[in-house]
Amino acid sequence: MVKKKRGVPDWLNSPIWSSSPPSKPKSQSPSPSPPSSSNGDRLSTSKSSSFNQPILTPPSSIPTPKAEIRDSSSRSSTSDNDITSSVDDFARQADLLQELSRKIVNIGELRRLASLGIPDTAGIRSTVWKLLLAYLPSDKGLWSSELAKKRSQYKHFKEDLLMNPYVSKAACVCTNSWILNVSVASQSEITRKLEDSTYPKNGDQMSEGKGLLARSKLPHGEHPLSLGKTSIWNRFFQDTEIIEQIDRDVKRTHPDMHFFSGNSAFAKANQESLKNILIIYAKLNPGVRYVQGMNEILAPLFYVLKNDPNEDYAVNAEADTFFCFVELLSGFQDNFCQQLDNSIVGIRSTISKLSQLLRKHDEELWRHLEVTTKVNPQFYAFRWITLLLTQEFNFADSLHIWDALLSDPEGPQGTLLRVCCAMLILVRRRLLAGDFTANLKLLQSYPSTNVSHLLYVANRLSSHSTQ
Amino acid sequence: MVLVLAIGDLHVPHRAPDLPAKFKSMLVPGKIQHIICTGNLCIKEVHDYLKSLCPSLHITRGEYDEDSRYPETKTLTIGQFKLGLCHGHQVVPWGDLDSLAMLQRQLDVDILVSGHTHQFKAYKHEAGVVINPGSATGAYSSITYDVNPSFVLMDIDGLRVVVYVYELIDGEVKVDKIDFKKTSTATM
Repeated sequence: MVKKKRGVPDWLNSPIWSSSPPSKPKSQSPSPSPPSSSNGDRLSTSKSSSFNQPILTPPSSIPTPKAEIRDSSSRSSTSDNDITSSVDDFARQADLLQELSRKIVNIGELRRLASLGIPDTAGIRSTVWKLLLAYLPSDKGLWSSELAKKRSQYKHFKEDLLMNPYVSKAACVCTNSWILNVSVASQSEITRKLEDSTYPKNGDQMSEGKGLLARSKLPHGEHPLSLGKTSIWNRFFQDTEIIEQIDRDVKRTHPDMHFFSGNSAFAKANQESLKNILIIYAKLNPGVRYVQGMNEILAPLFYVLKNDPNEDYAVNAEADTFFCFVELLSGFQDNFCQQLDNSIVGIRSTISKLSQLLRKHDEELWRHLEVTTKVNPQFYAFRWITLLLTQEFNFADSLHIWDALLSDPEGPQGTLLRVCCAMLILVRRRLLAGDFTANLKLLQSYPSTNVSHLLYVANRLSSHSTQ
Repeated sequence: MVLVLAIGDLHVPHRAPDLPAKFKSMLVPGKIQHIICTGNLCIKEVHDYLKSLCPSLHITRGEYDEDSRYPETKTLTIGQFKLGLCHGHQVVPWGDLDSLAMLQRQLDVDILVSGHTHQFKAYKHEAGVVINPGSATGAYSSITYDVNPSFVLMDIDGLRVVVYVYELIDGEVKVDKIDFKKTSTATM
């Protein structure tokens, strides 16, 4: 079973690369004590230091989460090896809470802790993500002023770009959707402001006098059917198309989750928030506008920020999510821009980077995939990369993966490629045995797997890259 | 804000082969919410074309229309305005503003759209406004010389209407606008 081929490093031959579940309990036991000691041993040192934490009393500044932790650690049993992982979680949680309680948060330390995964229970994910995305400054004292500033900025964006309708729905005999009414009403506001400023009103009351109505010249040649690129009307109709597409995509986001879909007022409000964020983003970024898939990246972000146990944060989740979304997307904007597809920063080049990474770590698998079975990485990796793996795993797992992605100090792309590479390596046995159809089927509907294990493997890849 | 296209007197295929190319390039589906057509299309193909621009299509019968099922007059309410539609060959003398005003009072509408004269007109009197979109193809007429192709787009917004007049003069599309308001307690 162990292939003695040149180039395959020894650590790859260990049984932990098996994807079948029964071998997992066996594999979990080697993981706390990693086989190769040449590993940076970040994991083992953090574990040894964190094992001290449960013994010592946790910082007295956070008494209440301790009770939560106690209750939840007995309940948190997502993985097979309960005891090890829940103690890990507990320890990591205490570490994170301690880090967050400092006056000035050490972002580097926070990144390191977050890369191992943020436990679900303490409700700190939202704050940690905000810190990792540089939305909140590291100095806690500045948080309230920063937040107030950003929230009022968002409010101004909303007022400028999504004006309130003043034509009531009943009066408008409009066959298009309600969204069109809203933006249509705002558009007429804009044209009215434009017209009023350029020439005086000449609209007489209809009941006075009779005579031919005076014709007047159009300001800037603006009329509703104008096809000019700079015409307000033309841009407005293009905006309408985008708004309709955003509306359709938001309605289709995560249909299985009560948070996002269904008829409850809560779900509808969340959908409204998602729509607002995407519309404002599209209007502020005319270069990228809206591309299908942005809703999938926005969804977990909004979910986490909205479920913040802090009331104030949850209420203002929409504004906070907008800025975090902008920050997150700034690194990935090039993936969504069609013109950049073939360029050095575009999606094709990212996919080829993944291919090279796989080749470096597992030449045999790479050769089998690309050369023998001719599975072009574009067929599966495109969705993995552009949607940041939200579609490959269930919602809870994708949040864990995002913890690791966001904690990368050099931006999420490096970790993303490593995680993708790890995903391929974990199913290598099945891939090597399969042909084109079987492999493509497997990769396009990736089997569910233990996410902590996946992240561990991805971590190992980064430390082995220097070998 | 509702965009209403007022168009008519195309006389396809008898007096004109088709709409001018420049008009056709501007009339794309998705922008207009209603089309009101004064009549004299004359054939079904033109009806289908107008239907493709907007599903809400209202037509009245002109004397050369091949489909005899169109009504003589039609009234509809858009926003705060009541619009009346009639081809205009029934109102004698053709194009006479007082007679049209009579028709308008009869239909009890704020804006009367009628055609037949193939000449654009926008006229206001105590009972309301009369708009004649002219002929969209520039088809010849027995009462008007040198017909310029024209049509009208109305932007109805609350109590205010902005009328955009599109005319094809010497091969170029010229657009003008007319603005008028209605008093909220209109007892016409």
